Amino acid sequence: MKTSLLRMSAVAAAATLMLASCASGTGGGGGEATYDPDATLEGTLNITGFTSTTDEIASTRYDLAVAAVGDGVDVKSDESGFDIQSFLAAVAGNSAPDLIYVDRTTIGTLAARGAIEPLEACLTGEGIDTGAFLKTPISQVTLDGDVYGIPEFNNVNIVIADTTLLDAAGASLADVDGSNWDALTDFAQKTAVVDGGAVSVLGYDTKMPEFFPLWAKANGVDILSADGKTANLNDPKVVEAVEFATGVYESEGGFAAIKAAKDASDFFGSGNQYATNTLGAMPMEQWYANVLSDVSPDAALDFTTFKSPEGDVVSYSSGSAWAIPAGSSNKAAACRFARTMTETDSWVAAAEARVAKYADSGSLFTGLLTANTEADAEIQDMVGTPEGNFGNAIAATYEANDAAFTVAGNPADSEFKTAWTDAINRVLGGEATAQEALDQAQTEAQDALDSAWADFGN
Amino acid sequence: MTSTSTTSPAGVGVSPRRRPARRRQPLQRKDTRAALLFISPWIFGFLVFTAWPIIQSLYLSFTDYDVLTDAKFVGIDNYLRLFEDPKVAQSLGNTLIFAVIQVPALMIVALALALLLNQAGKRSAGFFRTVFFLPNMTPPVAIGVLFLLLFNGNQGLVNDALGIFGIEGPAWTTDPGWVKIGLVIMSLITVGGSIVILLAAIRNVPTDLYESARIDGANFWQQTTRITIPMISPNLFFVFIVTSIASLQTFTEAYTAFSNTDTTAGFSNNGALFYVVYLFQQAFSFLNMGYASAMAWILFLIVMAITAIQFAVSRRFVYYEGEQS
Amino acid sequence: MTSLPTVAPALALQGDGGNLGAAPRPRRKPVVKRVITTTLLVAVSAIFLYPFIWLVSASFKPREEIFDNSLIPKTFTLDNYVSVWQDAPVALWLGNTVLVTVLAAVAVTISSAMVAWGFAYYRFPGRNLLFGLVLATMMLPAAVTMIPTFLIWNNIGLTGTLTPLWAQNLFGSAFYIFLLRQFFLSLPRDPFEAAKLDGASHWRLFRSLAVPLSKPAIVVTLLFEIQASWTDLMKSLIYLRDSATFTIPRGLKTLLDQFGFGGERHWEIIVTASVITTIPMIILFFIGQKQFIEGIATTGSKG
Repeated sequence: MKTSLLRMSAVAAAATLMLASCASGTGGGGGEATYDPDATLEGTLNITGFTSTTDEIASTRYDLAVAAVGDGVDVKSDESGFDIQSFLAAVAGNSAPDLIYVDRTTIGTLAARGAIEPLEACLTGEGIDTGAFLKTPISQVTLDGDVYGIPEFNNVNIVIADTTLLDAAGASLADVDGSNWDALTDFAQKTAVVDGGAVSVLGYDTKMPEFFPLWAKANGVDILSADGKTANLNDPKVVEAVEFATGVYESEGGFAAIKAAKDASDFFGSGNQYATNTLGAMPMEQWYANVLSDVSPDAALDFTTFKSPEGDVVSYSSGSAWAIPAGSSNKAAACRFARTMTETDSWVAAAEARVAKYADSGSLFTGLLTANTEADAEIQDMVGTPEGNFGNAIAATYEANDAAFTVAGNPADSEFKTAWTDAINRVLGGEATAQEALDQAQTEAQDALDSAWADFGN
Repeated sequence: MTSTSTTSPAGVGVSPRRRPARRRQPLQRKDTRAALLFISPWIFGFLVFTAWPIIQSLYLSFTDYDVLTDAKFVGIDNYLRLFEDPKVAQSLGNTLIFAVIQVPALMIVALALALLLNQAGKRSAGFFRTVFFLPNMTPPVAIGVLFLLLFNGNQGLVNDALGIFGIEGPAWTTDPGWVKIGLVIMSLITVGGSIVILLAAIRNVPTDLYESARIDGANFWQQTTRITIPMISPNLFFVFIVTSIASLQTFTEAYTAFSNTDTTAGFSNNGALFYVVYLFQQAFSFLNMGYASAMAWILFLIVMAITAIQFAVSRRFVYYEGEQS
Repeated sequence: MTSLPTVAPALALQGDGGNLGAAPRPRRKPVVKRVITTTLLVAVSAIFLYPFIWLVSASFKPREEIFDNSLIPKTFTLDNYVSVWQDAPVALWLGNTVLVTVLAAVAVTISSAMVAWGFAYYRFPGRNLLFGLVLATMMLPAAVTMIPTFLIWNNIGLTGTLTPLWAQNLFGSAFYIFLLRQFFLSLPRDPFEAAKLDGASHWRLFRSLAVPLSKPAIVVTLLFEIQASWTDLMKSLIYLRDSATFTIPRGLKTLLDQFGFGGERHWEIIVTASVITTIPMIILFFIGQKQFIEGIATTGSKG
């Protein structure tokens, strides 16, 4: 009796186990698609990673794209940031979204896993000219000659300084734009106010670990070769740059205290660090100038390009891209949607919407970098060259856009980024010297790159 | 009936000693079938969701599997990689240090508060016991959030309060050296469950023991260490085991506070990178299911070893009243 | 220890115990001692409760004042409670969580009660061994079964839905099986013998006799599982993708990512959402406070 009961349970369990069969691959393709700019599209289009309601730049283009795919397509956007874990789980569960919007540095990892597909057919089909895009964004999304993403936005670095604090320290903009490391440290130490272990005024924010590639390049080194295959994280000049950038933090109260202060700050609001004179200067992505002109237009600010110790303009290019999952069920609509979001006319319409909005509120439009060179040129004309310090922001922005560099696209980009981010964090946390940390990062990164490229070919 | 057993004399689960052991009645087989029918949900669940996963995770630990492509057998590669992976060492170290700090801290605080409650009048004890237990209901996610906000080095409440006493609080949330201690302190707020268990145990200690001790001139401290603690040692041991196992698997608060789901590189404080957090990242952010399974098995072995040691040590220190052995 | 006074067994039978302070002792409890005790208790309680008072207070403050750490908001505003519903599908999240929690609690109570009854009432060869196995599963780190369980659900095609969050509860859970078995063991056997003589079936014994007699234990099980299910983060991280399917803890995590450090620093939203996440549990506690405390006390003392 007992055994037969157990036998029954065992059989039932075994049946279930058949379902939960041994670990097999589930990442299937969504099939081929035809791309025709004149075809009427239908079905659903599930978009992940894009928020259309952030501002008029997003919403204007979003509306245009929805119109472009036509009434036959039901466009659904989950309106939340891209979560690589959820995405991969969705792909694993055969329920991938149809179109994703991701940071360009994620493209490589996704392509390596076969989660997104090369866009060759989409580009030729819908008539998207990759030549119309800025070189650096395109290089970030290209692996082995195949383009995996359509770039949207180009973020570059400029230096934003609080002129009140500059004057108080007797420093000039040239002292804090990176062309003179000694002057920079000097300013930082003079300006920083640390009392009781808490940082109340931060002199200079070197933005480590995020801006590591910028500092390395400023000192003359590319952390990854142009073909995306060889890491160069422990080059002596890179070590030097890291020692400098992390050293600045040390002299201002230590990273832990600084980060705690940054965490509690009102970065996007009217109580931001510049408005409250609690930050001297920092390199920052150019869109922040727009935020500042919006929330604290009267703050004492000035802008310039970030420079290498040799005086050359250096700027790290980053941004987002549209990519089509391999398991997408509506690739045609996805392609057309992405095309519309990134084409010149849409960008111009978005910029016009912003100009109109700012005309009402009196804020200054400090420009928009789209990664689309044609759109950039037209918008630059719209923005013009206004007087004043925000005008300097605009000039710096466009100058930086021309000089931008980036880290080449590669199939191990998350591991690569993790390797150097962890290394810098180790240095900041006092757990290792720059040399030790970067040596470890170099090994980890190169291993990851080697195995990823080896797998990628297959 | 002057039995000292704590179950009712004629209870449902009456001891087999009350019946002749050998006599097997025909009723027995029907009983067996009925029993197994009642237990069958658990048996099914066990086979499907426990036994099979244990076997499969062992198998996976010898493969390279990312769910999107088929599993590839790689032998002991994952385990070798485990030993070389600095993050495994770091996360394991973090977890062990955290547990070594948290478990004694929780137990001492729980015991101290339970003893304190025991000194209070019954109604007041009941009220305060409720107050102490209330924070246990807080979702761990919210505890993670509270940690980030209250322990912020610059503007957090904790450092403000310390400042009143002239103490310069460290940057709890951003300094890898302090974050574990900060997390332990935050976790003390959920000590209510253990307090309830220990208080009930303390109240069960027969009063006459204290009477005799008092007559012999023992003071409060001696009474506590010589009477209370040995008498409640089974319960202390229970709390010890449960807290240790939970501590070694700490996940939610640290994950909430420091991982950023937007970026795969996102874990902003390596001092709080605990073993299960890293395991989770490997499994679900990087889809290294094989490697993560190997990590899981190492954890399993460690937990078993530690629990075994705890049980072995308990023989010496835990006093079971009325135990035959 | 054979000469225990009769006080002891009586004390031992009650989970809550008697009060040592009221034991036969002359009433010369020093006032000083009581004052010290009470002061300490009040002080510690203040420390325990303060974070939550801070949290609630912060939820009524505008963003700039969140960190000013004053107990009474300088500027009292209800804006956060209005905007939090708009900034994120919080209502949906609450609904999802309620659904999952109810299903999980009911499923685990029914199944665990059945299994516990099987272990408590019946005698069969291998019973203790099998129960030992049940207990052993409590020691298994969740991480070991996490991945294959995910793969099972993935192969069935139910990842992305709420089902994996509660369906495993249909098969009982070791902790509640233990708890309920303890309780069943303490029930008197006579009524069952009598009913059996009257021809009651096994199921009848369980359903119509054991269950009604076990209301306290069942309530404890329900309450505990409601709390566990409501507050779970890991399962929702693993299985849920679309933010419309999120449960409240998962949602709070998303808000923290979006509006916290990496994002726009909208602390007022985070704080308000945290309060919304916690309040239902507090209410639940006040409803079932006696059961929670007794349940925990019983577990610990038989452990």
